[in-house]
Amino acid sequence: MAEMTARVSGFFGRMPRWVYVVIALALAIAFPLLEQFGLMQTLWLRLGTRVLVYVLLAVGLNLVLGETGLLHLGYVAFFAVGAYTTAILSSPRFGIQWNFWVIVALAMGLSMLFGFLIAVPTLRLRGDYLAIVTLAFGEITRMTLNNWETLTNGPGGIPGIYPPNIFGWTVDSPLEFFYVLLVAVVIVIYLLGNVKDSRIGRAWNALREDEIAAHHSGVRPMRAKMLAVVMSSGIAGLAGAIFAYYQQFINPTYFLFMQSTIVVCMVVLGGMGSIPGAVLGAVVLDATPEVIRQAFTTWLPGAFGRDFLPGVQSALQTDFDRYRMAIFGLVIVLMVIFRPEGLLPNKLWKREVHEEDPRELEKTHQHLFDFEEGKQDLEV
Amino acid sequence: MSPEHIFSLTISGITVGMIYALIALGYTMVYGVLQLINFAHGEVFTVGGYIAASTLIWAGVDGTTPLAVKIGYFGLALLVSLVLTAALGWLIERLAYRPLRQQSRIIALLAAIGTSIFLQNMLVIVFGPQPIIMPTAIVPTGFVEVFGARIRVLQVIIIVVSLVLMALLTWIVKGTRMGKAMRATSQDREAAEMMGIETNLTISFTFVMGSSLAAIGGFLVAMYYGSLQFNTGFLYGLKAFTAAVLGGIGNIPGAVVGSLILGLAENWGVGLTLELLAWLFVLGVLVGLYFQLVRAPRRRVAHIAEEFRTPEYESRVRNVYLFAPVLAVKTLFSERTDALVYVSAQHAVRLMLGNAILAAVAIAFFMAGDIQFSSKWQHVISFVVLMAILMFRPSGILGENIVEKV
Repeated sequence: MAEMTARVSGFFGRMPRWVYVVIALALAIAFPLLEQFGLMQTLWLRLGTRVLVYVLLAVGLNLVLGETGLLHLGYVAFFAVGAYTTAILSSPRFGIQWNFWVIVALAMGLSMLFGFLIAVPTLRLRGDYLAIVTLAFGEITRMTLNNWETLTNGPGGIPGIYPPNIFGWTVDSPLEFFYVLLVAVVIVIYLLGNVKDSRIGRAWNALREDEIAAHHSGVRPMRAKMLAVVMSSGIAGLAGAIFAYYQQFINPTYFLFMQSTIVVCMVVLGGMGSIPGAVLGAVVLDATPEVIRQAFTTWLPGAFGRDFLPGVQSALQTDFDRYRMAIFGLVIVLMVIFRPEGLLPNKLWKREVHEEDPRELEKTHQHLFDFEEGKQDLEV
Repeated sequence: MSPEHIFSLTISGITVGMIYALIALGYTMVYGVLQLINFAHGEVFTVGGYIAASTLIWAGVDGTTPLAVKIGYFGLALLVSLVLTAALGWLIERLAYRPLRQQSRIIALLAAIGTSIFLQNMLVIVFGPQPIIMPTAIVPTGFVEVFGARIRVLQVIIIVVSLVLMALLTWIVKGTRMGKAMRATSQDREAAEMMGIETNLTISFTFVMGSSLAAIGGFLVAMYYGSLQFNTGFLYGLKAFTAAVLGGIGNIPGAVVGSLILGLAENWGVGLTLELLAWLFVLGVLVGLYFQLVRAPRRRVAHIAEEFRTPEYESRVRNVYLFAPVLAVKTLFSERTDALVYVSAQHAVRLMLGNAILAAVAIAFFMAGDIQFSSKWQHVISFVVLMAILMFRPSGILGENIVEKV
């Protein structure tokens, strides 16, 4: 049995990475076509689009939380900045409609500016104070959006956001938005993958593991952290802009503290510092609750009669969000206790969290001195 | 604003501050022993209030209940809430934090946040999303007249109870064996363990104590406002943490002082207008200019080594500050320059930028006119206070690393 699992995992381990990338991309491209051919309800396409927004957010937060090891709890604030920039500049509220590219650039730029302003004073602080400050910043942003009625229309939100026009192509159906988002996700992931493997990516990992040692090896902690925060804010701004276009209506309830924690949970579940992990975390955490809800409210009653587990059905209809969040909280706790490296771990982080584990240590040593088969794996 | 009004605002500020202090003590003690922000503490507080209120509802207290029975029920509610909440605190530590002692801080912090989310949503699932209403019969409704201001008896009770609890806590920390163990653990856990102190027991005790204080705080808040909502603890927790940081985290008197300041600031802040705030920013600009033009050059000049100290060199360093940004930027871009002058120029540019931002904010506020801060901006104010403290003085008012640290 053990040999069997070893062979299976060996098989998957030997597959080059591009195979997985191609499979994932093919699945993603094919997914909306199911709806197009009538094999799937539009509901699922909408879910897929939302998942892609979360993928963008999770990948962006992964930069800060996973790569650099800074606990950022106000991530949704930058998302909100991007979304509100779009909503204000392209809606009947002020009767203006700016160009899509200008708005995306502005949304990203403004988010990055806010990220910079938050980062300058707070990154000097101890890591856990950063968590509190970012949390407070997220709440301030939401309350300001709620209270500044002349600009944001307060709790009423901004309705009727115009669909974007990309080189003469008006994007206004979930299908088209899915592909727009997919392109954005692919570009962002490609760029982030490059950044991760570059000098600055290694500097981030070094900072995460030991800030003092990294500083003494020539990494400038402030600069590197600042770059991480600003870049991830920009990604959140981008996600916010596309989200606002897609949703056509935004109000402050889309940007609760809960959303930040959901994204944190995605990154933790998938594996901190691993981009595939962040993608997987976003897909699993956003899609699973919806699948469960559909299963208990539509599919199972359809298969076993209308009165199938009525208690569960009513509970899911009224308190679904609460159960989901309670389970997310539990998932975070259980993950950090039992599998801190996440579902699709990043090698470096995995070794770091299992520092005390003699087996992992031995593996590390083996990797270091494994010169057989001409392998010189010195990536510890 | 009449003096009576100010006086009653002050009293309610102290009342709220005392409640913040009861919660902040839990944060600060746990931070002392574990260096962990116990995010779940706010939820522990809410749970305490919920349990007390639901005990009273279950007992069916109403206006017809005789006083002696009422007091009995009151004691029962307090006892049940204390025991269950303390048990909850102990459980959280045992299940969520203890397995992560050896891990990095970010991991433990994640566990704390997860616990907090879990508890908050469990509260809704168990008790429902609507606020729990305290039976009004149990709440003292009397007033006393002091200096012409009407003060609720309940406020007096809250202040007195909090003071007694704080005295008790101080005695436990300073006068008992367990308190000694706590202080030792917070100074150096491993060394304390080597000296034969049961650190696990001590940490559990800290959690139990913090949770009990939070439970009493929750009970008092439920009585004071008449109801409690599932997310009350989130805001209270954040504010109490702000207070703990304001006073200097890990520092018991600091937590109390910080809480009082925060409570008073919040209550006085209701009368704040944007114009007043703008004047505060003008004050900030003045202080900033003082720093840039007087204090910083004086300190830089003091850095000059004896053998280089000439009047010309001193004035060169000083001029970078005085004629910034022109001279400072010029210095930064010049080909070759002195290290001290270069560093001073960088510093000067930073100070200048800071002053410019402050001035811009002040001008923006003046332009925005006379917007009155309604109570919906109250939370924003306390968050801004938190961010300001963390930026400018993260060690707090009384300092965080004093010898009596807990």
